[in-house]
Amino acid sequence: MYQHNGEEIFVIDAHVHLWDATEENIQHDGGEEFIRCFYDYHTTFTPEERQWGMDEYRYYGPDRMLEDMFGNAAVDMGIFQPTYLSDFYEEGFNTTEQNAELATEYPERFVLNGSFDPRDADPGIEYLEELHEKYDIPGVKLYTAEWRGDSKGWRLDDEEAFRFLERCEELGIENIHTHKGPTIRPLNRDAFDVKDVDDAASSFSGLNFIVEHVGLPRLDDFCWIAGQEPNVYGGLAVAAPFAQNRPGKFSEIMSELLWWLGEDRVLFGSDYALWNPDWLVEEVMEAELTEEHRTEYGVEWDLETKRKVMGENAAKLYDIDIEAKRRQFQEDEISQRFGLEDHYAGGEPAAADD
Amino acid sequence: MGRTEADADGPEPTRAAVRDRLDRVTDPELDRSIVELEYVDGIEIDGRRVEVEITLPTAWCSPAFAWMMTVDARDEVATLAAVEVVRITLREHMHEAEINRGVNERRSFAEAFPDADGDVEAVRAELDEKARVARQYDATEALLEAGLDGEAITGLRLADLEPLEADGTPDDGEATGSFAVYVADRSFVVRVPRAPIERYLEKARETDLVSEADDVLFRTPEGEPIDPNSFDLVHRRGRLATVNMSSQGGICDGLREAREKRLEESADD
Repeated sequence: MYQHNGEEIFVIDAHVHLWDATEENIQHDGGEEFIRCFYDYHTTFTPEERQWGMDEYRYYGPDRMLEDMFGNAAVDMGIFQPTYLSDFYEEGFNTTEQNAELATEYPERFVLNGSFDPRDADPGIEYLEELHEKYDIPGVKLYTAEWRGDSKGWRLDDEEAFRFLERCEELGIENIHTHKGPTIRPLNRDAFDVKDVDDAASSFSGLNFIVEHVGLPRLDDFCWIAGQEPNVYGGLAVAAPFAQNRPGKFSEIMSELLWWLGEDRVLFGSDYALWNPDWLVEEVMEAELTEEHRTEYGVEWDLETKRKVMGENAAKLYDIDIEAKRRQFQEDEISQRFGLEDHYAGGEPAAADD
Repeated sequence: MGRTEADADGPEPTRAAVRDRLDRVTDPELDRSIVELEYVDGIEIDGRRVEVEITLPTAWCSPAFAWMMTVDARDEVATLAAVEVVRITLREHMHEAEINRGVNERRSFAEAFPDADGDVEAVRAELDEKARVARQYDATEALLEAGLDGEAITGLRLADLEPLEADGTPDDGEATGSFAVYVADRSFVVRVPRAPIERYLEKARETDLVSEADDVLFRTPEGEPIDPNSFDLVHRRGRLATVNMSSQGGICDGLREAREKRLEESADD
């Protein structure tokens, strides 16, 4: 748990990956371009001394991931968000199955989400059912700009997508994470346009729609939709690392989010390994809203808000009992491995841990 | 010999004149000049032939945006009477070959990118609309500062604006003075700085929202007249549009800095 001015904050990183972009796994130029583009984002928003080399960035493996996330207890739990990109990577880039390697070994520490692609039609529905049966996935991560054959993407409000969302509702897969981030490719098709979330969210009021990257560069469209749809949430991946080298912008974006969505509908996510929670959590926790923004928007980035954004909001969506987790982590395998037993022992003064 | 302003009336275009035209080209997503954003790497002038080199913050900047900027750069420079041939070279972009060929051979986006569906005009229109909303925020802020309230602002029409010289006399040219704004059936008048209003009017005209004297000056993001009761919310949405643009600007800036650093490092090796 993060120690903040003597208070403990339980942190759920709501957006993590275990990916494989090794050259052997790449089967299309798009795969190489994709990881290079990720790497540009990594170096742009990572302090120089914390930047990785390209090789370790392509593949870091489960051990490194555990160390980065839990080694210094910056994060208490992580939520896997798969990104298939099956046309680009032979075995996929970051599939449910790849993520399951860690998630099934440490189920107390990880939430494992699945994915679907409506262009897969009936076999896609069957695959979704299979993920439900095998892993009991509580959510899906969707990548509407993914290439598939001649198709350069799909929309959440397509008829076929609605069929998949209906099936999610029936199976109790309630958390629908959609990547809505910068346009990289493909050409002029605006496949990360956020507007398709509007119709989907109002048609499926029993599902939660978490818009990853808060729609950037369509923060305006996103906030306007989220302001009207109570089941739309914002994931902070990409916006969070602004805290590190663009603190004024971070303050402004966070103020907008808190004004339009309120403190109950914003979720922290590092996007690991795009950025590493072992430094990012601290940057976000210690960030401050400028006096000017606090006055203009009338919002606060205070302890209560941080508790919600950094953990409690995700806990609510994923039925995680934070107190029970805290007790469990006094003796789970991860705590033993990293010597965190005392850290999770209730009532211990913060000074007792590292 | 370097080219100077003295050439302005001569047969060859000046660097300053070319730069001035390029300064009117904006990054459509950020609504800022490509000169100010330092995307223009080089201007070569050889007689009446002008070559412009452009580099964007990343190699994978949206090809549609790259297309708009290079086409606009070409067309702006071509408006100079002294220019006979314009050649645009986009560098370090994953689609530079298609874009350079398309722009210089005056093909359409659809011809240059047969894989893409449709043309860039819809994307351009949407970004223009966002730029209009953001500029409206700045113009409205200036009016609020001058003492007008939401009700007065939402009631303004184009005819209520009158450009003034710095000394307060009426003017129709490109002065740096102010605007007189007539309020409440012209019962009183306030003066506001010229730049934010002018910038807004430019986009409002481009998006066909304001052209006639009788047209309502400000609109919702959807293009409707603003109900005075919703003024605060519409103003918030304008603020949000400015935050969105400057946030994306922060990402682009960061990517450009990271790329420049990489280039410097590889040059040091």
